[in-house]
Amino acid sequence: MKLLAWLGRKVGGALVVLWLVATAIFIGVRLIPGDPAEAIMGGPGSQASAEALANARSEYGLDLPIISQYFLFLAKLIRLDFGTSYSFKDPVLQIMGEVLPPTINLALLALVAAWLLALLFALLAMRANKFGQLLGNAVEIVAAAVPHFWLGAVLIMLFSSMLGWLPAVANGTAAGLVLPVLTLALPIAGFLTQLMRDSLNTAMGSQFALAARARGESRLTVFRRHGLRHAALPALGLTGWAFSSLLSGAVVVEAIFARPGLGRSLLSAVLARDIPMVTGIALFSALVYIVVMALTEAIERLIDPAGAES
Amino acid sequence: MRQNQRATRLLTGALALPLAAALIAGCSTTNDPAATKDAEPVAGGTLVYASGDAEPSCLDPHVGGNYPQALVASQFMESLFTKDAEGKIIPWLAEKTEVSSDGLTRTITLRDGITFHDGTKLTSEAIKANIEHLQDPNTASSTGYLAVGKVDQINIVDGLTAELKLSAPDNALLESLSMPWTAIQSPQGLKRDQAANCAAPAGTGPFKVESWDRQQAVNLVRYEDYVSPAADTERTSTASYLDGITWRFIPEAASRYAALQSGEVDVIDNPQPDTISTAADNSLGQLDAPRPGASNRLELNSSKAPFDDVRVREAFMHAVDVNSGINALYFNTAKRSYSLLSSVEPLGISDESKFTTDATKANELLDAAGWTQRDSEGYRVKDGKRLTLKFPVSTNQSVPAEQSLFEQMQAAAKPVGFEVKIELLDLSSWYGALAKHEYDLVSAPYTKVGPSVLRILFHSDSTVPAPSGYFANNSQVKDPKLDQLLVDAEQTNDEAERAELYKQAQQIVLDGYYVMPLYDQQNHFLYSKNVHGMGETTAVSSPIYYNVFLDK
Repeated sequence: MKLLAWLGRKVGGALVVLWLVATAIFIGVRLIPGDPAEAIMGGPGSQASAEALANARSEYGLDLPIISQYFLFLAKLIRLDFGTSYSFKDPVLQIMGEVLPPTINLALLALVAAWLLALLFALLAMRANKFGQLLGNAVEIVAAAVPHFWLGAVLIMLFSSMLGWLPAVANGTAAGLVLPVLTLALPIAGFLTQLMRDSLNTAMGSQFALAARARGESRLTVFRRHGLRHAALPALGLTGWAFSSLLSGAVVVEAIFARPGLGRSLLSAVLARDIPMVTGIALFSALVYIVVMALTEAIERLIDPAGAES
Repeated sequence: MRQNQRATRLLTGALALPLAAALIAGCSTTNDPAATKDAEPVAGGTLVYASGDAEPSCLDPHVGGNYPQALVASQFMESLFTKDAEGKIIPWLAEKTEVSSDGLTRTITLRDGITFHDGTKLTSEAIKANIEHLQDPNTASSTGYLAVGKVDQINIVDGLTAELKLSAPDNALLESLSMPWTAIQSPQGLKRDQAANCAAPAGTGPFKVESWDRQQAVNLVRYEDYVSPAADTERTSTASYLDGITWRFIPEAASRYAALQSGEVDVIDNPQPDTISTAADNSLGQLDAPRPGASNRLELNSSKAPFDDVRVREAFMHAVDVNSGINALYFNTAKRSYSLLSSVEPLGISDESKFTTDATKANELLDAAGWTQRDSEGYRVKDGKRLTLKFPVSTNQSVPAEQSLFEQMQAAAKPVGFEVKIELLDLSSWYGALAKHEYDLVSAPYTKVGPSVLRILFHSDSTVPAPSGYFANNSQVKDPKLDQLLVDAEQTNDEAERAELYKQAQQIVLDGYYVMPLYDQQNHFLYSKNVHGMGETTAVSSPIYYNVFLDK
């Protein structure tokens, strides 16, 4: 019962948020300079005749009063109809279906990589001496702060141009995934490690950890059985944020490594004033954010039932 | 099957290459570290091309009509006419053409024996279908639409001959029909809906579109039944050496260059100037193919203050130092131009004397124009208004080096008292700013074959906006005498008179200080040393890979 109520609250809240996002997008895209009809008729600088522009306006419902356009837009959204892309003349959902898998693939791999890197860093930091800790701390802060475009360029220069180990641009192979995944994962790993290390230090220095060591358990076992749970919790809360950062990072990373995907579609859609595409991708991103936040909350409740009640 | 064909080509190709390359090389220059002429042509292999341009939303260059479309369409579509090495227009898919003495009827006869990729034969019906497709508002053609603007009616004379009825004589028509934006595609293909034709237009070129994985690559494969209109090549098999071309889109210049260096791609476009200047040291080939039409230039909006005063326009020309900026930022890969037209246009004239750097002269001119006061920041003021120049810059069309050049101009113009306000904009916002006349300075490249681009850019009709708000005459020159010259220049059937009229027209624009030429529209390509036979281009300087081969 409690679970059902929780689920109900979540779904209701999500619908309200989605409606607000949709409304904000509807208003937002109309504030961008540029004539949508022109975007339909071959982009800026087109020589389209007045008649052709008028046809495009009526075909896409742009000649209706703004309030009718809004309700029409909402009515279509409820039926999951995102409209037709201005530049590709294909349904937005179909195009998103094509570009979504590579982005989800990239984001999930980057998330896993970030967690693995963070655990590795945290473990190393635990075993390091004072100087090592200081160095580790510096590395984390730098990793967390570097922008994707810089990191991507440096990784390409290092591993592709200089060492020749990995391809500079995506080529459909696993090797081609390494650099884009690292570019996305490193900043997140930096954040996660910082969070983890603090709570890990607290946990490993606590009474129960000391008691476990006294029982003869190795440091690694204590870390695995006791420290990790404490360290992971705050980091887990960050995962929802991390996932949304991955989606926005995908815009940059997909351009640098010439990967197909949602981020690259968003960039070209914004530049081409392809309003249905922009709307579709923005709504989808909002939905993903809501779902991921709900999931992390659920996992947090599993790991720490007491904490969730408070 | 394929293997056998490859073997024959291997034997016969060697002699043909230098000959064919000389035929339509245009005015491009190559710097080839691998000494192409000694290399033995080898058939086979797929070339990977990486473009820095935005991926077109439609592969049919009739729709819209920009340079990225022309670059890829040059591989699978061909035009009725093209340019030879001297810049002369010669027939291509057309075999011959003639014009009536009144200049109002243009007859075009096609070559026999050419088939489209969809298996249909090239007949005079295709001329009619293609020009009508360009003129159809639903096609939304902007470049090709203007090019065939004077064609009123197309009559089929016989299977290979069509007759174009013109509203006025047009000596630029053949130049217009040499561009990829008016290239000929299968009438059967055009009957499909636009999305289908956009995905795989059926042309006659040496490669055909096999598939298009959006955001990844356009996959082009050899068209086995290709017939080259360049009849005097000695190649017995007239299909391309390459099995195909993988046409990729890699927007980041650094990634593109890294991919070329590591051998992931074979040819890249839009390289950064510093990588062009060091290409030879890195054993990369370089192709420099300036685009035809207008030079890259700044246009000064003469329709409003402060540039409605010719003295202020002249002062600006002398206030900035363009040459040192170009040398520093382009690493000697771009040559300063003093012409309204590209260096590949034979009828362009240059006037260096108008563009000397001379701060004293600039100051005198501004004093004389009444901009005598200075405000606390050192900018000139007149009637309480600062001497401000709005300069919207398209980040899409101006590469980083050009943006830096504009910033240097901004700094150089300050001591003289100009406040140059640079605004970096995406393409749609940039067009929006122009449509609203929110500019005093602008750099708007325009590619077209032949000097008739001058009418598009400087005739007063071009100040009247299209329904989209677009107009091409950004300097807002409105001069009845100039209008007349531009119209007459397009209608005469005397070559010498045409050259003279265009010369006078250009002199009027240069004398009025409406335009500051910078350099040719840059069009560089870098390629790895296993790529041979680069250099042939279409009339708009887009490279053709028909005679290119790989020695992997």
